[in-house]
Amino acid sequence: MTKAVRDRPRGTALARRVAGHVVRGLVMIWVVATISFVIIREIPGDPVQGMYESLLQKGMSPDQAERATAVLYGFLPTGSLWDQYVGYMWSLLHFDLGRSLSTPGVAVTSLIGSAARWTVLPVLAGTLLSFLLGVIMGVYAAIKRSGKLGDLLALSGSLLHGIPVYVIGLLLTAIFTTLWPILPSGGPVDVAFVPGLNAGYIGSLIHHAVLPVVTYTLASYGGWILAMKSNVVAVLGDDFILAAELRGLKRGIVFRYLARNAILPLFTILALSIGMLFGGSIFIEEIFNYPGLGLLLVNSISTRDYALMGGTFLVITVGIVVANIVADLLYTAIDPRVRSGEAA
Amino acid sequence: MKRLAAIAALASIATATACGSTGQENAGQGGIYTTIDGSKQINASAPINPFNPVGSVFDGYNGMALAWPKNDPIDPNQFYPAIARSWTSSPDQSEVVIHLQPNARWSDGKPVTSEDIRVSIGLAYTQGGTAYALDPKAAGAAATIQVVDPTTIRITQGANKSNTFLSNLLSTVVVPAHVYGSLLPRDFWQKLKLAQDGKGKPAEQAKTEITGLADKVIGFAPRQDVSAGPFVLERINPGAALLKRNPYFYDSKLIGPDKVELLNYTGNQQIWNYLIAGKLDNAPFTSVPSAVLDRIRAVKGSQVIKGFSPVSTSLAFNQARKPYDNVHVRRALAYLIDRAQVTKIAAPEGGTPSLTTSGIHAEAAKVWLGSAFSGLDPYRLDPAKAAAELKAAGMTRRGNKWALPDGKPWKVEIHVPASFSDWISAAKSISSQLTDHGVDATVVTAADYTLYLSELAAGKYDVGFWLMGLGPSPYNIYQRLYGQANGWQMFGGRLEHVAPGTEGNWMGGPETVDVAGVGRVDPGALTSRLSFASAGEQKQIVGTLAKVSNEQLPVIQLWDYVNTQFVNTSRYTGFPPDDSEALRLSSGVWMQLGMIRKRQA
Repeated sequence: MTKAVRDRPRGTALARRVAGHVVRGLVMIWVVATISFVIIREIPGDPVQGMYESLLQKGMSPDQAERATAVLYGFLPTGSLWDQYVGYMWSLLHFDLGRSLSTPGVAVTSLIGSAARWTVLPVLAGTLLSFLLGVIMGVYAAIKRSGKLGDLLALSGSLLHGIPVYVIGLLLTAIFTTLWPILPSGGPVDVAFVPGLNAGYIGSLIHHAVLPVVTYTLASYGGWILAMKSNVVAVLGDDFILAAELRGLKRGIVFRYLARNAILPLFTILALSIGMLFGGSIFIEEIFNYPGLGLLLVNSISTRDYALMGGTFLVITVGIVVANIVADLLYTAIDPRVRSGEAA
Repeated sequence: MKRLAAIAALASIATATACGSTGQENAGQGGIYTTIDGSKQINASAPINPFNPVGSVFDGYNGMALAWPKNDPIDPNQFYPAIARSWTSSPDQSEVVIHLQPNARWSDGKPVTSEDIRVSIGLAYTQGGTAYALDPKAAGAAATIQVVDPTTIRITQGANKSNTFLSNLLSTVVVPAHVYGSLLPRDFWQKLKLAQDGKGKPAEQAKTEITGLADKVIGFAPRQDVSAGPFVLERINPGAALLKRNPYFYDSKLIGPDKVELLNYTGNQQIWNYLIAGKLDNAPFTSVPSAVLDRIRAVKGSQVIKGFSPVSTSLAFNQARKPYDNVHVRRALAYLIDRAQVTKIAAPEGGTPSLTTSGIHAEAAKVWLGSAFSGLDPYRLDPAKAAAELKAAGMTRRGNKWALPDGKPWKVEIHVPASFSDWISAAKSISSQLTDHGVDATVVTAADYTLYLSELAAGKYDVGFWLMGLGPSPYNIYQRLYGQANGWQMFGGRLEHVAPGTEGNWMGGPETVDVAGVGRVDPGALTSRLSFASAGEQKQIVGTLAKVSNEQLPVIQLWDYVNTQFVNTSRYTGFPPDDSEALRLSSGVWMQLGMIRKRQA
């Protein structure tokens, strides 16, 4: 039997598996889009009145506030809920998320696209950095679990895991922007630099991303280290590790066995975390004035910008659904037990 | 590995570059003035268009109006010149002639002419608004717009006059005709005439076509900024906007800074951090905890400027709900609240305790009412008077608590939006004071301001916080008490009073009330007259409405706001003094008025 013939059933099974995931994913997206459509429109509150009163609160005269808000009336969704729903779904099929109410005249896709790039940098960097740190330190904490260093690492994980992200963010802001002002307290990049591939602009991007990335890393590092430590300890007790040690295999090979088995569940979580990054990090973006998707979502809710809210929810949903599919396929690829089960 | 090392090295160099000044564009002798636009957050996705509510046009910098309103306590028609160098108005404001700055030019070098003003007015019609309403019955709508010469334009008011017509005209935002003109169809002015003066289907069709342009106008995104102001937008990102000098500005010699950087903010905390770091030359006031305020004050060059702000905060009642329909209950609560204590807790820097409830900020009330102001009941803390009022309302004392006339417990729920820390502090202070006097009071928060307003308008609250005294126009002031929120609305040009709980009438007050020494009055009708009454009649009406408000207490006026601004004189000097008429305007306008000079070493 040739290799191609032998691989055919496995290839077909994989294709079926991917197709099943895609169909389930699409159904999930439709369900979430429908639910969020209904919930969003049931949120009480008149955006126009809200904007008018907010402008008064800021000291604007009634006439100025009225002028500023009057233009928004034309963009309030009209028609029955069903008509709006049909229109929404039809637009969705054409990848049209509508136009923003809070940023009149601008397409929701444009706003989401603009916010997404500011979310990806700090959240992706923070996720990967915390994953790497957590995994390495987790293995170390498990191996040295009887020593002081192991205890210290585990304690650092527990402590950081227990501190809310906004507390870490505020602490770092207080230290590095006011007490010892070496980092910028807000914004994604200094407006004085001309955008492009020049050292000043890139440097400013990195300079402004330091605090959000460090905050995100510290906030999620605890979870990774604790999970990795727990997994390593569990694997350390498995027979195959004992057998490997008894066979006199090199330390490096035993470590590879250990790490590969302990890290498996964390890959799934990592894939889901990367999917979640499209939701941004509301607290971090709020504290550091980082204009990502989390902040966009919060602002859209406070201004009752239905189109933007729906669009942001949808992007988050798609991100998570895709991440789920990727995680499942990744698991298939890296875990031989799942592969053999599939082949059978 | 080598690649990784190279990337790391590049990143380090880039970061070091960003931290230093290399590569950053240097401003000239005038330096970069750093501030915050308190009226809106920066939205880098929005077009550079003043008709867009979040557009990247900033008043006083790259956004210009015909004139800038002065912070006058009673006269809304007081303005500083801007694109309009001067103006004349007939006594009843039926005709206004505006003379433009002869040297005004756009940032592309083209002159600012009457045609620019005409196009700006045409675009304003697509957005609606007081002076530019398509409805011929609307009060204060412009009737004709005539270009007299390249720097003179004459505008007449329609038959239904308003005494704020001049104010509304002078607030017109000015845009270049050679950039925005194409947004108006060729037959726009004929259509406008038809919409205003025509009848039947053609007129309705014309109205629909004009209002249908709104979407196109606010979504219009010019490729680059063309400004008649002292600055022009150079660059914007979600964190800040950078504006550079407009070399063609008509009074360029008055402008000190070379550039202006407007920082974005998502919360008050960021403004505090900027101020503590000494980064801002000016910032609008935000609620600041006293510890933070002390740190801001300790920064070198930090100063606080204070002045009149025609806004007050009040505790408003839903009079459709018992026992708040009874004036004695409202008065009793007024006698039980120590406003000085409330203000000290809630707005120690940004407010002064209201001297009484008149409906007007005390500064303006003194001018409007003269000696009559001191004749109003001040409602000083007086538990004995409160007890007498509660007994007059039929309330009974059960143990150490007041109960409703039917013997059921009386629970006062004070509603506030969760996002307003000063209102929450005030509500807690009031609740505590009332509880001390035997009134069972609690504070209930709404998730956000939008939800709060929605539930308030739906009549779901008995007692809630409400902004009032929105001067300087007396009509705007009393609209907050005797307007839509209290049942008075214009239907087809006629004022009507709707039943409580309908059409946004959540205050639920009676249509007419008896006022000592005046007789029976309709406060809504009087308020409506304020929009077109002569100065003498306005004074008389304001006197009556102040008395109505003081006797009937649809609200309890708690504190009057103080316009409080933070400035830092380390880099620039010449900020407006306390109580300046320019205090509520942006730093860009201060610069146009010759303020803000670079500090000399």
